[in-house]
Parts: sequence; C-alpha cells; structure tokens
Amino acid sequence: MNNVTGRLKHYRGSLAVMITSLLLLSACASKPVSPDGAIAARDKLTELQNDAELASRARTEIREAEQAVQLAEKPLPTSEDALAAHRVYMADRQVDIARAKATTKLAEDQRGQLGEQRSDARLEARTREADKAHAAAAKARTSEADMQRRLDELQAKETERGMVVTLGDVLFDTGSAQLRNSANNNLDKLVSFLDKYQDQRVLIEGHTDNVGGADYNQSLSLQRAESVKKYLTLRGTASRRLTTSGMGMQRAIANNDTATGRQQNRRVEVVIESQSESQ
Amino acid sequence: MHTLTGPGFARKTATSAILVMVLAALVGCVSAPEPPIASLTKASDAIASAEQSDARQYAGAELDEARQKLMQAQNAVDAERMVDAERLAEQARVVAELATVRTAAAKASLVNRQLRQDADALDEEMKRMGDQQ
Repeated sequence: MNNVTGRLKHYRGSLAVMITSLLLLSACASKPVSPDGAIAARDKLTELQNDAELASRARTEIREAEQAVQLAEKPLPTSEDALAAHRVYMADRQVDIARAKATTKLAEDQRGQLGEQRSDARLEARTREADKAHAAAAKARTSEADMQRRLDELQAKETERGMVVTLGDVLFDTGSAQLRNSANNNLDKLVSFLDKYQDQRVLIEGHTDNVGGADYNQSLSLQRAESVKKYLTLRGTASRRLTTSGMGMQRAIANNDTATGRQQNRRVEVVIESQSESQ
Repeated sequence: MHTLTGPGFARKTATSAILVMVLAALVGCVSAPEPPIASLTKASDAIASAEQSDARQYAGAELDEARQKLMQAQNAVDAERMVDAERLAEQARVVAELATVRTAAAKASLVNRQLRQDADALDEEMKRMGDQQ
C-alpha cells in the first residue's frame, strides 16, 4: 500500500500536465488512478525481481516486463478502462513470459551440473570396474604363481596331458600295492595341492617294469593307482575328482634291462588336468 | 494504423480545435477504419510458432487463449472496432509468446528430471556393484 501511495504522490506533480495532454489527445479526461490489476502485475514482477535464482537469468525480458508494468500503472480516465485493462493484460503476460524464460534458463544451467554429476558417476563406475578387473587380475596372478610354486615343489613336468607328478616306486614294496607306512613327502604335498585347488581333477596312472606277465603287471599297476587314490581320499580329497587307470608295463620311460631302468619304470604318475579341460 | 497516426488525424489537425473537441465529446476515441494488419499478422505468426513448439501439449490453456483473442480481434475488425481489434491482436500475440516460453520451460524441466533419474539409477547401480565386491 505504501508503494501505491508513493507512486500517487509521484504522479501528483505532473497531474496538471497529464490532464492537459490527455485532454488534447483524446478529450477523455477524468480522475487519475492506477488501473485495477496493475498492482497485482507489479507484485508479480517484484517477486520475480527478488528471486535470486531467476532475476539474473532473464534480464531482457524482465526489463520489458518492467516497462509494460510501468505503462499499466499510468493512471487513465474511466473512459479509458478498456485501454487500462489492455495494458494490465499485457504487463501481466510479460511478467509471466519473463518468469518462464528465467525458469528455462535455470533448468538449462542446472542441466550442465547434472551432466557433470552424471559424468562423475560414470567415471566412478569405470574406475570401480577398472579397480575390480585389476584386483581380479592380481588375484589370478597370485593364484597362478602359487599354483606354479606348488607344482614346482611336486617336481611336476609339463606334458600334453597336463602337469605330471611322478611318484617313484619307493612308495611300494616289491610286488605290493600297499603304500608304505613311511610318510611320503611328495604325497603330502599332493594332498596339500588338491586341498588348495578344490576344482582340480587328477588322473592317477599306475606303471610297472616288465618283470612278470603283462596281466599281472596290468592289475598291479591298477591296484597301486587305487592305493594312491584311497590315500588321497582318506586325506580328504573327494573321490569324484580322482580317476585311476592301470597302464601295466606298456609305457616304459627307461630301459627294463637294467635295475635302475626298471626302478624308474615302476612308478605312479599323477596327471593334473589343465583347468580348461576340468571345467 | 492508430488514431494518432492515421490519415484521419492529419485532416483533423487541419480543421479547428473546437471541431476536435466536439467530435471527441460525441464519439469518444475514434479509430481510423483500417484493420491492424501488422498486429494481426504478428499474432497469427506467434500462434503458429507456439504450435510448432508443441505448445498444444505443454501450454494448452495459453494457446487456446491466444486463438480466442485472435478470433475476437478478427470479429472486432469485422465490426470495424479497429482499436479493440489491435489490442486483442496484441493480447493474442503476447499470450501466444507466453505459450511458447512456457512450453520451453516445461520441456527443460522434463529433460532435467530424466537426467536426474538416469543419474540416480546409475548411482544405484554403482552401489549395487559396490556391495557385490
């Protein structure tokens, strides 16, 4: 209300001049009052101008709205009610336009931030993925290195069928399939290896020298393989991971004519199947 | 176009001031009988561009009002109420412009909402991935 009174005071000075000009222009003079609705338009504009987020985002439109509101506020004689209403209408819509423009600009400015936020999220996602892959690779490397170390301890040899661990005939008494009671270091290492790599399947092959018949050696080789399997099973390896076969004297690795050669031929081979085959 | 700039005004200034006063007192504010072509054109252009910006969908009320004002302006032209016609045409233009800018504002906030949802979904995804680790 103070606002209006102040404005009226302001206009009072130029009242005479205005009346005169109004008379000259349209001959429609009457008591000057700020038209109805102009106050509401002014209030709407003031609210927009005081909005810190919006005011700076539509300067041109707000300036145009200000001019429109000022025009609407100009007192007009009652005979010019239609013009007054027209000016108020125009002023009101200009304020609305300024607000909508500012709102659009604000949304666009916020979009930039949202975009950054989204890139941040993406970047974070990629970083995490990379970290995860890195960790997995490191783990795989560690695991591979560990496996290799254990295989080295077992003195495993790389063959086409996989890594082969040879357990010498010292495990058995001559002609016997019974494992010696004396703890075999190599066999315990194998247990530890199978314990660590639970997915690993192994093939246990028995081999003999050429002393005795082929059938005898065949059955002896299988029995020896079975003995090893039984030992491993008792030490906690699932039997389904263990396959046995008796190779008899077919696959000599040394000359059976010498005692040393025959000793080398009497053996149990444990084939650690490569991972790709076991899966 | 307007009372003050029309050819009628020039003629009136040539005659006596008394005649002006008398005429004014009798008929009030007289308008030249020329339709406000420029204002009408601007109004229909503004309506067309509002329609093109999908105002029908996002600012239907404003668009309807603009069309109504333009129709009223044309009726005023038919009735030779040219001052009314001009004002109505100006009102049609300004409300059509309002329809356009409100459409733009609605679209802008829609886009932001979508972006925000996407960002939230991504964050959610991140969190789940984080939990799985």
